[in-house]
Amino acid sequence: MATTVVVPGLGSCDFSDLREIKKQLLSVAERSRERGLQHSGKWASELAFALDPLPLSELPAAPVLTEEDARDLDAYTLAKSYFDLKEYDRAAYFLRGCKSQKAYFLYMYSRYLSGEKKKDDETVDSLGPLEKGQVKNEALRELRVELSKKHKAQELDGFGLYLYGVVLRKLDLVKEAIDVFVEAAHVLPLHWGAWLELCNLITDKEMLKCLSLPDTWMKEFFLAHIYTELQLIEEALQKYQSLIDAGFSKSTYIISQIAVAYHNIRDIDKALSIFNELRKQDPYRIENMDTFSNLLYVRSMKPELSYLAHNLCEIDKYRVETCCVIGNYYSLRSQHEKAALYFQRALKLNPRYLGAWTLMGHEYMEMKNTSAAIQAYRHAIEVNKRDYRAWYGLGQTYEILKMPFYCLYYYRRAHQLRPNDSRMLVALGECYEKLNQLVEAKKCYWRAYAVGDVEKMALVKLAKLHEQLNESEQAAQCYIKYIQDIYSCGEIVEHLEVSTAFRYLAQYYFKCKLWDEASACAQKCCAFNDTREEGKALLRQILQLRNQGETSSTEISAPFFLPASLSSNNTPTRRVSPLNLSSVTP
Amino acid sequence: MASVHESLYFNPMMTNGVVHANVFGIKDCVTPYKMALLVLLSELGRAGAQLSLLERRRLNRLLLPLLQGPDMTLSRLHKAIEESCLNLANSVQIRIKLMAEGELKDMEQFFDDLSDSFTGTEPEVHKTSVVGLFLRHMILAYNKLSFSQVYKLYTALQQYYQNDEKKTEIDETDMELTNTEELEGKMEKEELDVPLREEEISCSGPLSQKQAEYFLSQQASLLKNDETKALTPAFLQKELNNLLKFNPDFAEAHYLSYLNSLRVQDVFSSTHSLLHYFDRLILTGAESKSNGDEGYGRSLRYAALNLAALHCRFGHYQQAELALQEAIRIAQESNDHVCLQHCLSWLYILEQKRSDSCVLLEHSVKKAVHFGLPYLASLGIQSLVQQRAFAGKTANKLMDALKDSDLLHWKHSLSELIDISIAQKTAIWRLYGRSTMALQQAQMLLSMNSLEAVNVGVQQNNTESFAVVLCHLAELHAEQGCFAAASEILKHLKERFPPSSQHARLWMLFDQKIQFDRAMNDGKYHVADSFVAGITALNSIEGVYRKAIVLKAQNQMSEAHKLLQKLLIHCQNIKNTEMVISVLLSIAELYWRSSCHTIALPVLLQALALSREYCLQYLASETVLNLAFSQLILGIPEQALNILHTAIEPILAHGAVLDKGCAMFLVAKCQVASAASYSQPKKAEALESAILNLNEAKTYFAKVDCKEQLRDVLYFQARLFHTLGKIQERNKCAMLFRQVHQELPAHGVPLINAFK
Repeated sequence: MATTVVVPGLGSCDFSDLREIKKQLLSVAERSRERGLQHSGKWASELAFALDPLPLSELPAAPVLTEEDARDLDAYTLAKSYFDLKEYDRAAYFLRGCKSQKAYFLYMYSRYLSGEKKKDDETVDSLGPLEKGQVKNEALRELRVELSKKHKAQELDGFGLYLYGVVLRKLDLVKEAIDVFVEAAHVLPLHWGAWLELCNLITDKEMLKCLSLPDTWMKEFFLAHIYTELQLIEEALQKYQSLIDAGFSKSTYIISQIAVAYHNIRDIDKALSIFNELRKQDPYRIENMDTFSNLLYVRSMKPELSYLAHNLCEIDKYRVETCCVIGNYYSLRSQHEKAALYFQRALKLNPRYLGAWTLMGHEYMEMKNTSAAIQAYRHAIEVNKRDYRAWYGLGQTYEILKMPFYCLYYYRRAHQLRPNDSRMLVALGECYEKLNQLVEAKKCYWRAYAVGDVEKMALVKLAKLHEQLNESEQAAQCYIKYIQDIYSCGEIVEHLEVSTAFRYLAQYYFKCKLWDEASACAQKCCAFNDTREEGKALLRQILQLRNQGETSSTEISAPFFLPASLSSNNTPTRRVSPLNLSSVTP
Repeated sequence: MASVHESLYFNPMMTNGVVHANVFGIKDCVTPYKMALLVLLSELGRAGAQLSLLERRRLNRLLLPLLQGPDMTLSRLHKAIEESCLNLANSVQIRIKLMAEGELKDMEQFFDDLSDSFTGTEPEVHKTSVVGLFLRHMILAYNKLSFSQVYKLYTALQQYYQNDEKKTEIDETDMELTNTEELEGKMEKEELDVPLREEEISCSGPLSQKQAEYFLSQQASLLKNDETKALTPAFLQKELNNLLKFNPDFAEAHYLSYLNSLRVQDVFSSTHSLLHYFDRLILTGAESKSNGDEGYGRSLRYAALNLAALHCRFGHYQQAELALQEAIRIAQESNDHVCLQHCLSWLYILEQKRSDSCVLLEHSVKKAVHFGLPYLASLGIQSLVQQRAFAGKTANKLMDALKDSDLLHWKHSLSELIDISIAQKTAIWRLYGRSTMALQQAQMLLSMNSLEAVNVGVQQNNTESFAVVLCHLAELHAEQGCFAAASEILKHLKERFPPSSQHARLWMLFDQKIQFDRAMNDGKYHVADSFVAGITALNSIEGVYRKAIVLKAQNQMSEAHKLLQKLLIHCQNIKNTEMVISVLLSIAELYWRSSCHTIALPVLLQALALSREYCLQYLASETVLNLAFSQLILGIPEQALNILHTAIEPILAHGAVLDKGCAMFLVAKCQVASAASYSQPKKAEALESAILNLNEAKTYFAKVDCKEQLRDVLYFQARLFHTLGKIQERNKCAMLFRQVHQELPAHGVPLINAFK
């Protein structure tokens, strides 16, 4: 069998011999193509392209034909051309009775694809509403029976095992499917399709640990991919970095994956720059461009988004990603009806394209059509229960409907899925605040701050809560931390709440009779429009009081009530310019 | 009993307590079964003149259920028609056969011909009649089908026919074995009555629209009325998942899944299903209603309300209150008084959990009457009665209130509320210590036929009311010494409410209590002690009380006293007056056992005052017995006899056998004691009457198999006979005494010092 020949070559998972890896990639790309597995072929050749070209002498030789192959050659050649023309039944008809591995795989695969195609066609015209979900791929059962017989007799090669796994997965036999895919990965580790299917079936880290995977360099790619899927971004980025170091720096696949990973942890700038790089290298790429457009959307980069949309539309306007980009474009221009229309089109092209459901939900929300939004989000959840954005969207919808208690459940679900995302925590906190459960709200805000607040609002909200509860000391501390945060990130973003923070601090210090600090804060207040008058008034008062109690004020010079660490951190209020502040804070 | 109410309050699949079958309203589509019906209709039109009047009447009656019912197999349809008219059934069969075995064009021709029945000056079918509407629906639905759909329909028809062929072949071979006419008839009927049996559901994968609707509403009503008959939780969930897989838009399945998760106390998945249901409902509400805003807002309110209900059921009262507030706010904003009313009733349920104010409750009842919600109103009345009963309102007022709500029930035929009302009366009579009345009410409920239209006269539902009543019945029998009957009733309960069902806790508690009492009577204290743990698990207060009783019987006075004091404080806090009085009695008993009768007196007087205030007559008479005994020991037997006369009557009328025996024994003792000062002939007379009373006590004790008391009575009797000089009788009693005494271990408590 051809597979057994390949295995010893990749016994180790090190990347020292890139030439060998390139050889393996080229050969597996060829073999995948022979079997009609276009995507795996594409992946392998993309990766091979990233490595240095081989000299003629080292190019992999054409696979040796066996007696069986030779016998089936005619039927195979004919069937393959039918297969390429998507005439699956016809291909299967001419392949029946073929014994060679390659022909047998193509035979089974075309039967499977024919069943899938018919299923898709059936869905369009079913008899009644209840029959909508009943349409099944009729071929699956037969395929399963035949393949399991072969599987028992150990007659399946790596590709055959992969197909068997796919059939099992389609029949919702997840456990069996995982076993078979693992087996497939052992027999033919080079076949990316089997790994990818495995990625879709593994739902958490524990499951991943339980698997016994072959120890090859392919495993590294798999692990990096699954870490991204499981939102373990740090680990994923590490893996990808080590892959780049190993010599895959030119691979567009890896670059795009890294960009997606940065997108997932909302490191927008990095993600954007990587995507721009990717587009330079591979200008006609459509894959992952939806993620790119999301990033542009978040940054409100209208011209770039419009350019991207036009470009993609020229390349292929009937791609899911294209529709998604255009939808985002319209959404940014506040043409929400059109945006929803494009997302709908994306769903027509691929009903299992999860992102579009969620985005459509967002659009409906913008249009104030809450019921349609709920429907869209629910659909998204049906497709993928782990879609935190849909849960979050549902929560937002109910929040807009003024049902803070009701939406708690949805936010909690979202939080479960992304425990370290501050947005959910802030949303939870806001709900608790509305329900007047201030203790819980405080916990949420504090946690949101602790996991790294993206929108930098948690601290302000926490401070306001403390303010409400008359816990002025804690409130002041929160405001101080908030100001440090804002200045330490270096950007001069117009933050509305900064003025509020300074105003509160000024008044707080004023009450504590800490004139220096109070006047520093009051001066800061004067820099903002909405607090200017108050700041000036306070300054005048301070001046007055100082003059009156010149003698006594010297006694209370340091903020003794603050812990040492905090009072040293307290510098922002003493120093005058924000530039100094950023240098002090860690 | 509060849990009865909670589970009944709101269910979107029912209005005023009645589950409606068709609340979904999804458009028709052509199925093979519908085609068979169309064939039947066209045959009916063709053979119209030849049918006899009787046949035509029968067929007309048959048509409506066929048109509205769920899809059924061809053979069953055939049988149904056959019962009315044999010829017609055969011709329908033949035409379907011709169509199925023919070609596609046969079916197309058939549909083309269908519309002819409307034409002509005197059409066979009127356009707006039930049949006419059905025909037009079908023709419209057929015309909308695309070519491939038509072809699919045709293959489905062939499948339908062929499946039937296969089945009849098998059936025919079966039939020959049991070829009794009657049996056949019976089987048919059964099949028609119970269209969806378990094995059928499991084998036939996807259900049709109507079948699914029917399945859902059937299971929902079974869950409500008779849980044991519904599918098991796991199986039902499997079915629902199956259904949802085929049609994720079938929102009601989510609701049923919520109810199902409630059965197994799964808070997580029940929340999930509930919210999912309402997410779905919001859609359908928005689509179907013309004034979309209204329909959709409505479901929002009820969503919040249901969430409150869910949290309340799981005991998360704080969350429940938050959800309820939300529901109330939304309902107020949209001026929905009915929803507000529902919220109000939940509000008082929540209120009840914390304090016992009934302002809200009264308010709720008034409002419910005002808005014409009889179901809510009488539920409120029942809750109110329950609360008032514990608060010591007089019986006549409560019964009046119940009578008023009964009027409402009968007027609106709310059968399950009638059941609850009767069960409540039973419980109230028991509380007051009127066992005869309780017995009568219990029997009334049990011998009443079910009033629901679905199963008239078949069998009663297995609702909580029945569990309550049966438990009381068992206890009443046990009190009268009919232990065999009691255990028979408990066995029945076990069958009707298997241990996993939600009302099983009730009979478990009663079962343990009865066994405990028996063990105590037999003097097997260690056995009784073993039941204490079980009782505590089901009802902690009762458990502690029983533990104290066991300790007391085992002469561990100080432990018992400590326990009872603690319990007393707790019960006073939660205002469980019944238990307070029982505990006071036990404490008093502890005192006189330690010969501190003077201390016992105030305790007893307190108990007496309480039981009089709360009209707990039975406990009052028991207190009087205790009081009389103390007086006897303190040397004022005349006074004791005086107060005994007030208590003896209710005890003999309503009391447990054991208490009756104790009372008679005490009377005899008092008689003897007071006779000491009498002159000789009068004294002899008094002693004679005491002996008679002792005889009566003896029969009572013998009934409940209470050997210890029996021994005491015999000893006492022998002494009396001795005093009277009746040697023969004395010897007989002494012999009997010796027999009993040998069976029993001697206890430290001196004989004369105890009356029970």
